[in-house]
Amino acid sequence: MTVEKDNRAWYRKAGGKAWYFFNSLKLTLFVLITLAIVSIFGTVVEQNLPIAKYHAQYGAKWTKIILMTGVNDMYHANWFVFLLALLTVNIIVCTFERFPPKWKSLLTHKPSRFDPRVIDKCAHHHTITLNENAASVRDRVTELLKKKKFNIEKYDAEGAYNIYAWRGTWGRLGSDVVHISLLLILLGAIVGSFAGYKDYATINVGDVADVPYNAFKVRLDKFWIEYYDTGQIRQYNSNLTVIENGKEVLKQQIWVNEPLYYKGVRFYQSSYGPSWNKVESADIALVKKKTGDAVRGPFTVKWGETVIVPKTPYSVKLVDYVADFAYDEKNKIIYSQSPEANNPAVGIEVYEKGKVVSTPWLFLKYPGVVPALPDKDNDLMVTGYRGVMYSGISLNKDPGTNIVWAGSVVMALGFIMAFFVFHRRVWVHIRETGSLTEVKIGGMINKNNLVLEEELKNIADRLSGNQTGPDKRSTGDRQ
Amino acid sequence: MILSLLFFTFSFVFYAITALLYIGSWVFKKRWLGQAATAMAVIAAFSTGMILIFRATEAGHAPFSNLWESMMLFVWAVNVGYLIMEYKHKFRVMGAFVMTFEVLAMLSAFLLPYKFKSAEPLNPALQNKWHWMTDLLSRWGAQKYAIGWLDFHVVTTFIGYAGFAISFGISIMFLLKNRSEEGGRKSALMDAFPEARVLDELGYRTIAWGFPFLTTGIISGAVWANYAWGTYWSWDPKETWSLITWFIYAAYLHARVTKGWRGRKAAYLSIAGFLAVIFLYWGVSFVLPGLHAYA
Repeated sequence: MTVEKDNRAWYRKAGGKAWYFFNSLKLTLFVLITLAIVSIFGTVVEQNLPIAKYHAQYGAKWTKIILMTGVNDMYHANWFVFLLALLTVNIIVCTFERFPPKWKSLLTHKPSRFDPRVIDKCAHHHTITLNENAASVRDRVTELLKKKKFNIEKYDAEGAYNIYAWRGTWGRLGSDVVHISLLLILLGAIVGSFAGYKDYATINVGDVADVPYNAFKVRLDKFWIEYYDTGQIRQYNSNLTVIENGKEVLKQQIWVNEPLYYKGVRFYQSSYGPSWNKVESADIALVKKKTGDAVRGPFTVKWGETVIVPKTPYSVKLVDYVADFAYDEKNKIIYSQSPEANNPAVGIEVYEKGKVVSTPWLFLKYPGVVPALPDKDNDLMVTGYRGVMYSGISLNKDPGTNIVWAGSVVMALGFIMAFFVFHRRVWVHIRETGSLTEVKIGGMINKNNLVLEEELKNIADRLSGNQTGPDKRSTGDRQ
Repeated sequence: MILSLLFFTFSFVFYAITALLYIGSWVFKKRWLGQAATAMAVIAAFSTGMILIFRATEAGHAPFSNLWESMMLFVWAVNVGYLIMEYKHKFRVMGAFVMTFEVLAMLSAFLLPYKFKSAEPLNPALQNKWHWMTDLLSRWGAQKYAIGWLDFHVVTTFIGYAGFAISFGISIMFLLKNRSEEGGRKSALMDAFPEARVLDELGYRTIAWGFPFLTTGIISGAVWANYAWGTYWSWDPKETWSLITWFIYAAYLHARVTKGWRGRKAAYLSIAGFLAVIFLYWGVSFVLPGLHAYA
């Protein structure tokens, strides 16, 4: 190599250096091992906890370090993403550098002229001398190679026969196919993170929930739990109905492992529990204010329905429920401070002659704390209720998923090519020396040397007639 | 549950005998000891297969739902994988290492607390059957034999683990042999080993089986997670550790074609890879919290 003055522009020089840096297997090893080591931190430090929990677990100093380095959400931290990007660029540059020449050499791998000296350079080679004429040896070699599924090219020269044989050429491309599949999977993940979304909704039985970014809605018709005979839980199930433009378009039962799929959105069964803001019905009684004795009822009012209180001018509509009653004075809203029924209360509307006269809350545990009726003698009281279940539905849309799956299929193909198809090339040189024939046979394989070693040994043995059985692959018990 | 545990006891004894026979054939270089070892390994494989079959009938589902059951699959896969390799390459010395490892694996399964051993019905998250298979088998009323992502995921993963376990043994042998070859010392025990070059190739071949199967295991797990949890990757500790293992073996595959990394360093990577497998398999279940807590 002659030393030439580098006349390239600075950016070309820098680009060349960068290219050289990325076109390196040492970089691949460095990034892979680094990724393996740092990924451990993210499994030891629990991810995405509230900061207070890190304080409790690790103390102030370590919490600061954890937050500063982003280990609390490590797999999305800049430096972790940077490592992945480094690997990606490494893969792309290596593929660009290695694939085109490889492709070219695979297309033009047949030599135009046969050079017997190549055989001596092969890692595996044999020289045999046979008492047989060269043409018949050539035929036997060809036959043996054909049986081993080799492709054959003959180069007959003066006083010598040459054979070039090969198989499994496309196995060479396996590593490239795997690398491309990795890029595809990465692409799918990127598409998913930009174009997809995740959400979670708790839907009470009978309620309809909006689906974000979509015009359709879902209704929960039923939720139930199946049990084994032993009492262990078998499955959680929800019946969902998709409603679009006011019409029911799809009804389906979902359970863990069986989501509903509609217009790119999947709905998953992910949790359940007693609702904290809805009941199926409540039992309400008309009572004497002074004594608390029941005058009428209790009668059952269904959710959203109106019932006339017998022999009074009033009717009652059940409109609200909270499991653990609380009042937010600042925002003036009523809410449930927990999902548990610690202080259950039902909200009703009381009508007199078709007009609302009061909208009281009736407390199961504290009857009569708020007068419910504009009435001197009587009051309303809730004596019981039947709750409903809610079903926790996760929903997500991820248009990248299909790209990831496509990448996975390509990867499987690449693995088969890379690990189970071996590119073998064999050169045979047959030459008559006096009354004898000398056979030189040598070969190369891109991986799994043991396979070619045995194959060549097998061919050599058969040629010299040492072989006993027709299909004996190895040379016996080596122990 | 009696039959599966009974065959577990049988298998434990069989593996102990097999390991002793392989070690004996290595140390005393007696051909009949080696043949007896192989025969015993085949018997142990059958016996371990019986554990799996009886457990499946007892539990009413494929026996992959707790740590003990998966250990039996692992032990069986390592045994079968080793026997295939012995048949193909005709080396018996590896048996001494692989079967000793099997005894340790059986011992650790034996020591598991009872709640990891008992046959339990499948919890909601583990119930996954392929619809097409259920539909197909229901034609003959055999739909209960349908399998799903759970079975595919576990089996592919464990074939991968088995390949890595064998390559771990081979890598240790490589390092021992390499040291004795470089030191130029003669030792009767080391002479029984195949050449370091051959051990390096064999180690690579087993990883060349393990790696695609681990990858298939990871991907099928992702497909299944996409059905059950609504996301194909959530950086749960088990997932992350499978990726860590994958990174290490990917590094190994690249090390073998990189100057200065072939041979010894690659063997160290293979050993590191298997330590990661052990943590992925056992460590994550016991030490780290996450969605895979059941196995």
